[in-house]
Amino acid sequence: MTITYVLMQNLKRNPLRSMLTAAAFALPMAVFVAAISLVVVLVKVAAHNEQELRLGVRQKTSLTNLLPEGMRRKIEALDPDRRHLRAVCGMRWFGGRVPDTQNTLTSLAADADTFPVVYSDVGMTPEDAAKWSADRTACVVGTGPAELYGWKAGDRVTLESTVPPYLALEFRIVKIMTNTERSNVFYFRRDYLEESYQAMGFASSRCNIFWVKCSTAEGLRTMQTQIDQAFANSPEETKSEDENAFAASFMQAGGDIPGLMRTMAIVVVCIIALVAGNTMMMSFRERIRELAVFKAIGFQSGRIFTIVLAESAILALIGSLAGVLPTAALLTLIPLRGLRMGPISTVEVSPVAVVVSIVIALMVGLAAGVWPAYQAMRLRSVDALRKIA
Amino acid sequence: MGAVEIELKDVRKVYHKDRIEIPVLEGLNLTVNAGEFVVLMGPSGSGKSTLLHLIGGLDSPTSGSVRVGDAHLERMTERELTSWRSRHVGFIFQMYHLVPVLTAAQNVELPLLLFRMSAAERRKRVATALDVVGLTDRMDHRPNQLSGGQEQRVAIARAIVTDPQLILADEPTGDLDAETSEEILNLLNVLNSPKFGKTILMVTHDPRAASHGKRQLHLDKGSLYSDVAVGPRIPAVAASFN
Repeated sequence: MTITYVLMQNLKRNPLRSMLTAAAFALPMAVFVAAISLVVVLVKVAAHNEQELRLGVRQKTSLTNLLPEGMRRKIEALDPDRRHLRAVCGMRWFGGRVPDTQNTLTSLAADADTFPVVYSDVGMTPEDAAKWSADRTACVVGTGPAELYGWKAGDRVTLESTVPPYLALEFRIVKIMTNTERSNVFYFRRDYLEESYQAMGFASSRCNIFWVKCSTAEGLRTMQTQIDQAFANSPEETKSEDENAFAASFMQAGGDIPGLMRTMAIVVVCIIALVAGNTMMMSFRERIRELAVFKAIGFQSGRIFTIVLAESAILALIGSLAGVLPTAALLTLIPLRGLRMGPISTVEVSPVAVVVSIVIALMVGLAAGVWPAYQAMRLRSVDALRKIA
Repeated sequence: MGAVEIELKDVRKVYHKDRIEIPVLEGLNLTVNAGEFVVLMGPSGSGKSTLLHLIGGLDSPTSGSVRVGDAHLERMTERELTSWRSRHVGFIFQMYHLVPVLTAAQNVELPLLLFRMSAAERRKRVATALDVVGLTDRMDHRPNQLSGGQEQRVAIARAIVTDPQLILADEPTGDLDAETSEEILNLLNVLNSPKFGKTILMVTHDPRAASHGKRQLHLDKGSLYSDVAVGPRIPAVAASFN
């Protein structure tokens, strides 16, 4: 027999309570690991975006205020020697959805000529680019909608817009984008959209945003300043920001989801700490005389402290493993599809998320056990035993 | 520590509660020789449990000295006292205080976890201790599968498994019926017999239990007012434990 054995047996003393406490760790940690995984994906996307050196130029007041198409030439004219700027791609939100479905896709009409350059990370092969250039109905689609609707390259698909004039357009898929960062997006040619609008009597030729591909990070900062200065005090005042800042402000437009997740995670951790702390305190009070006898027969205070603390940590560990591992396995086998958070459509549990969740649970378990362990350490056998007589 | 000899000189113990001083022992002097079976009697609050705790190193005197063998307990730190207790004292409590999730053998083994000892040696000692108390056949039973008397016998086995010279028993039969009490007291007589040679101090209210001791001390209001040697007692059932 070892002390560890005694510890493990102690957890069986009140199996229902131990199980409920472990469950109090398991359920929040299952949610927590999914949330952390999402944050990990967001961080990965942010890191990718930073490498891509894209500057988003939009109307200063709101992304929904459209900018004139001519602005692209004015932006290009700011760097005629192409020292900082590589290409400019105008983009317009379409708000399309597959007929007879409810989910609106992130469907964007992009300038046909510069899209393959500005979005080189889409990974178009020369053949894909040739198809994109040759076919006005060409589109490239992320894995999210492709898997959701069973689309593949070469398929003809139809999207209908959810905003006036409720266009229904048919597209031919030239590529399924496999990169995580674009997994939830549907790109097609803007000239096709403009012609379709004109055919319905809607003169448009305006963009929600211009994406400016830059050569260097320094060049990106230079262009950012130059563009905003060039359009300052004009009817089309702009706000230029890098892709990460844009993604952050875009996501926060629908509520600060990452912030909300962080707050939720903190609240969850605090609740578990309180639940576990209460349980450990109850467990300590129940065994106060038993611990007094342990001390009487020669267990040092430090050892008593360790026993009570370890019990709390073991409970936290068991609970977190019970919550995290099945969630991780489940999300690995069946990734969370159809999620719509910015560009992300799929969340797979990363090992980092698993480790972080378990470490946090362990820390919460230790924190919850510190006070009862301290009380147990300071317990005077003689006082506890006197209460018996 | 060799043969235990206990010496208390001018021991005073005062508890404090809400700034009020509560004197429990008042200048107590006492000597207990090795191999004695001393019974401490007296009304509630007379200081008998406190005296037991002082001798067992669970508490320290407010003033005066407590010597057990070579150890001057009043000079020892909490850590030293804890270590000393593990080697030299066996405690028996009224409510047994066994760990409910451990078997009888595991409960007896608990104090041995504090010693560097092989698992085989531990098992051997546990078996011997359980044999002494006559519970070899119940070693795999948990406390809730044992009667009160059997639980107390497991507690006695736990107290003797480290082979201490001194056994301190605080109302060991207080929760038992007359017949079972007699069995436990006979067992204490066996442990006190020359075969085992344990020095025993026992607190009790029960005159029948007290009659098993060799010496009866009566305390009242923190002072010793009677110290009576009792005639030698030959345990009637003791033979069954040999």
